Amino acid sequence: MSSTTLLLPAILIVTVAAQALLPAYRLLCVSAGAAAACLVSAAFGVGTTRQILADVPWDVIVLLIGLGFVTEIFAATRVFGVLAARISRWSRGEPRLILVMFSVAMYLVSALVNNLTALLLVLPILLILLKLLGVSQRYVSWTLGSLLVACNLGGAATPIGDFPAILLLGRGVMTFSDYLVAAAPPTLVALAALLLFVHFRVRPERGLPREPVATRLSLAVMDRLHRGVRIDLKLFVPAAVCLVGMLVAWVTVPASSGVGPELICWLGVGAALMVMPRIGERIVRTKVDVEAVLFLVALFTMVAAVKRSGVFEAVANGLTSLAVPPTVQLVLFLFLAGALTGLFSAGPSMAALLEVAQALAVHLPPTAVYVGLALSVCAGSSLFLTAATSGPMAQMLTERADLRDANGKPLRFGFFHFVPVGVVAFAIIQGIGIAYALLLVGVGELSG
Amino acid sequence: MSRFGPTVVQAFEVAAGELGMCSAAWLFVREVAREGSDELVAELRDLLGRSFPVLDAVAATWLAGARAPVVDSDRVLQACAGASQVVIVGAETLFLDDLLPRMGTTRAALVTHGTFAVDWDRVVANYPGYLDPVDLSSFQRLAGRRSVLLTFVYGTQGESTWVDPTWLRIMGPDVRTQFRSIVGWDVLGGAPYLYPRWVVEASLADFSEVIRA
Repeated sequence: MSSTTLLLPAILIVTVAAQALLPAYRLLCVSAGAAAACLVSAAFGVGTTRQILADVPWDVIVLLIGLGFVTEIFAATRVFGVLAARISRWSRGEPRLILVMFSVAMYLVSALVNNLTALLLVLPILLILLKLLGVSQRYVSWTLGSLLVACNLGGAATPIGDFPAILLLGRGVMTFSDYLVAAAPPTLVALAALLLFVHFRVRPERGLPREPVATRLSLAVMDRLHRGVRIDLKLFVPAAVCLVGMLVAWVTVPASSGVGPELICWLGVGAALMVMPRIGERIVRTKVDVEAVLFLVALFTMVAAVKRSGVFEAVANGLTSLAVPPTVQLVLFLFLAGALTGLFSAGPSMAALLEVAQALAVHLPPTAVYVGLALSVCAGSSLFLTAATSGPMAQMLTERADLRDANGKPLRFGFFHFVPVGVVAFAIIQGIGIAYALLLVGVGELSG
Repeated sequence: MSRFGPTVVQAFEVAAGELGMCSAAWLFVREVAREGSDELVAELRDLLGRSFPVLDAVAATWLAGARAPVVDSDRVLQACAGASQVVIVGAETLFLDDLLPRMGTTRAALVTHGTFAVDWDRVVANYPGYLDPVDLSSFQRLAGRRSVLLTFVYGTQGESTWVDPTWLRIMGPDVRTQFRSIVGWDVLGGAPYLYPRWVVEASLADFSEVIRA
């Protein structure tokens, strides 16, 4: 084994571990890792920096930025706040309904837009409702935990919901409609399984004080807080028209036309921003998630260097040459993907594992491999609070909300509060992901 | 065992922060009366009145037979007549809901600062096209010969009145000369019966005019 085949993966692994251990310095970690990978590649003749940067999937970056703008446009319409206020009213202050309705709503929202922004706008309203109603630590942990898992599942349901799926779409390994048809049903089943488990087995609302006067006051306050807040239709209508147009184009425009999903996104978002030039210009100038973009560019740079060294190919060959049936290889790969994502978060895991998945997809039905991988990454993202970016944000918003229980004790939503939810969610999603991938393999064998 | 549940205090704080102390008190008293009766309003007064004297005063008004606050925005509009800009300190939403849609071409701005944690974006979003936010450090940019400074006062007694604590950070000899007039809008009527916690005493002499309830 050559020095580069050891050195480049070592840089990738150390960097990914460092950014997971030192989240406050994660951009510095990945930037330094990317620079080191370029230096080693140049020194050992793996490739020049120009060649490595040319391997970065810029189309995926365009998709990420474009879809981020879509979310910001919808945020400016106040649709998320209005939705949260309506759900509060429809739930009638019933704790079980609050958990289910907010989770389902976040699943649907996350399927279409960036769940981080949506959560940032919805969660404060949910937290106010919880503060008004008066809840317990157990209820906060399971409600917010279920909400985060629902966001992850929604993100995995469509090719535009979250980074792993966007990567599949951007890299052209799956078409929009193929991914949607294959991935949406298992994510929906996983959400239903999680909510049923929480509803019937966990019952987090047990022991909550239920005073009709308190419920009435809570709902009346929520109504008053949002009495005049309306969706800005002047912004909402053009944004919705452009999003629908993009969805139609993603489904109908063939890849052979040369117009890829990233260009459809670019044109669609551009049109939406041009319709509202004042707000559009402000969004473009101020709402690019520079941190996410730099993080992913650095990751992709490292992955590109490792790929050029042939390590991913070697790992994939090792996996496919294991003396076990291909389905067992797939199960091993998917379980490993889930566990690695839990430790290192979705971005790094998906960027690296996709390279291995492409080798597996030569021997197995590609849909089974890619959708199984997306579900496994989703399971891993749901294992720990720190595995998805929305987790620390939910933690911060909950701290800021200063929730207290009936005895005045502060209610928190930290790493250990999420663990029970994470373990249950991981087991459900990973189990469904593996079962579904095997089902697709079986269907592929029957039809093939 | 109270029928209000153990977290009614934090519920009132949430409401008072964003709706205004007096508006939240009217909301609580009305909803409690709908759920139960005047007896339940009296229980609410016993439970929260000492901590929130404005609620105590509103509950007393309710128990004396009043069923809604006196919202006399006509006199406020008269006090602001000819002004191009009104800068508002403190949010009493029951009163602003009535006033703002009637202000015509006069622009209104709300100083986004308060005692409780407040989502000011949401407060302002409830008045689309009627209200702009302005922060504590820059409200003086809106001062001028055609600008009025308006705040809500919680009762008067002798030469004294009670105001939102933010008012003390706004009002000073320099500010007095920068605005055409300083208007107080009394949302409570009589002086608070209990020690006025959450509001602070101010001199009536600071105001050009006080619109009494």
